[in-house]
Amino acid sequence: MLMADGLVKRFQSRTNVITAVDGIAIAVAAGEVLAFLGPNGAGKTTTIKMVAGLVRPDQGRVTISNIDVTGRPALAAAHLGAVLEGSRNLYWRLTCLENLIYWGTLRRLTPRAARTRAVELLRLVGLEDRQHNTVQTLSRGMQQKLALCQALMHRPKLLLLDEPTLGLDFASSETIKTTVRDLARDGVAILLTTHQMDVAQQLSDRLAIIRSGKLVLSGTTTAILTQYSKPMWRITTASPLPTDRIAAVRALGWQVEQPSAEAILVTPREDDADGIYQLLDVLRPEPIRLVERHRADLAEVFQQVVEEGANAQ
Amino acid sequence: MTSLLVAEWRRMIIDLVRYPLETMSMMVVMLAVFAGMFFGAHYLTAAPIGGTTLSGVVIGYAVWSLVMNATGFMGYSIQNETQNGTLEQVMLAPWRTVQIFLVRGVMDILEMLIPVLLVLVGLVALTGAQFNWRPMALLPVIMIIVTAWGIGLMMAALALLFKRMTQMQLMIQFALLFIIMAPITALHGVTGAALGVLAPLTVQVGVLHAAVGVTVPSVSAGMWWEAVADMALWFGVGYWLLTSADGLARRRGIVGHY
Repeated sequence: MLMADGLVKRFQSRTNVITAVDGIAIAVAAGEVLAFLGPNGAGKTTTIKMVAGLVRPDQGRVTISNIDVTGRPALAAAHLGAVLEGSRNLYWRLTCLENLIYWGTLRRLTPRAARTRAVELLRLVGLEDRQHNTVQTLSRGMQQKLALCQALMHRPKLLLLDEPTLGLDFASSETIKTTVRDLARDGVAILLTTHQMDVAQQLSDRLAIIRSGKLVLSGTTTAILTQYSKPMWRITTASPLPTDRIAAVRALGWQVEQPSAEAILVTPREDDADGIYQLLDVLRPEPIRLVERHRADLAEVFQQVVEEGANAQ
Repeated sequence: MTSLLVAEWRRMIIDLVRYPLETMSMMVVMLAVFAGMFFGAHYLTAAPIGGTTLSGVVIGYAVWSLVMNATGFMGYSIQNETQNGTLEQVMLAPWRTVQIFLVRGVMDILEMLIPVLLVLVGLVALTGAQFNWRPMALLPVIMIIVTAWGIGLMMAALALLFKRMTQMQLMIQFALLFIIMAPITALHGVTGAALGVLAPLTVQVGVLHAAVGVTVPSVSAGMWWEAVADMALWFGVGYWLLTSADGLARRRGIVGHY
């Protein structure tokens, strides 16, 4: 659905040239959510805007449904919906319904079709009872839900979401996440940028992390989380572990960390799946409550990738 | 193009109806200005005002107002969208930027024409004055507006690149006032002819004056052609400039901000 290849964008400041994006290549298939992550100033927004056609790349090419965004922007825009961060996306003096009908008609729907679609979307995000309220009277969460509806009016094949859940309360955030999942299930390709790693982890099928304008990590979310998970076990007990038990574990050749009196983090010398049974025997009859294999979360992965980059520079 | 027209038309109507006080105030101000001009002219000349005199005064002011709006609105709209943060979303619509803002310019003129016509009818009813209007005068009015849109597109191009340009807009409007008021069409020789064709609006205003009988009784074919050429030139340049500014803004990455 979306193919972006070899994107380069340089900005000329008064004193020098800044390369904001340096050879980025991303692809998002229909029904897929790609979380596009990076620290502030990494080039995420510039990339998103190049995908949307709002910024023209110095090099590289973006196609949406095989339509070149630079060469045929109006045609490509017909397949694209976007909720842009820092942009209000809506007219505050118009009501929710008027806004959606306006944006829908602007995207070539007839007023009748736009009204039907608007009502359908407002119902989907739970704003049907607010349809006659002006945007300025809505809460931040409601405005964001409406911005999402605005982007979906013309049933785009590609949806760009820049920080869609930023500053939202739990309920609004959940509504947005549920809607995103449903859209992906319906075949919409979604390019998501966010600093909320939990949101990215919950929603994404694939990840792309950029740093200083360059892509430093990409792959499926599951594979990346597995790759960054350590061969470590966390064992939680109902009461503090006696020191002789911990010594016995060490005697088996395991490295032991004790983050709290009732928990130990143990790492075998080698990733030995059977070793855990020996270890549990050593701990018998201590009251074990939980044994869990370490699994990296996206925040850890992100931090590690960004720190590696900072150290390398 | 129909959906773009419909979208902007609906937005305009909503705006007019949603804020009736604003609409009414605009009409009251307009009525006051027209009435002031009418009675002022009557007082100064101590002669009955009507027919060509009224046409000259009223049409002059109405056209001047339309020109000011046509030249300023598209640039203002871009500035406004930038300040509100909606410009990028507008430019994501499946239309060329120049098409969107041109349609907005058309809607703005319609939005203004409706109260202008109502006020004119009200004024004629109020004063009992005769209003000398020839259908033929509609053509130069249209040409004046299209030429002014050309200048408006240039202002929009500057607004897209520089975002804030209120002072620049005022300067250009003063320059326009000078161009329209200066008797350029009366200049003789090659310079006069060249200036007549190249300067915006002067030929069209000359044609309008002739068409409503303020000056010469009839309009020559040459004047019509000059007016059409001048209109095409200014509109074409404006269209090209906004299209180019759109590309430049996207290359520089300054669509939504300066």
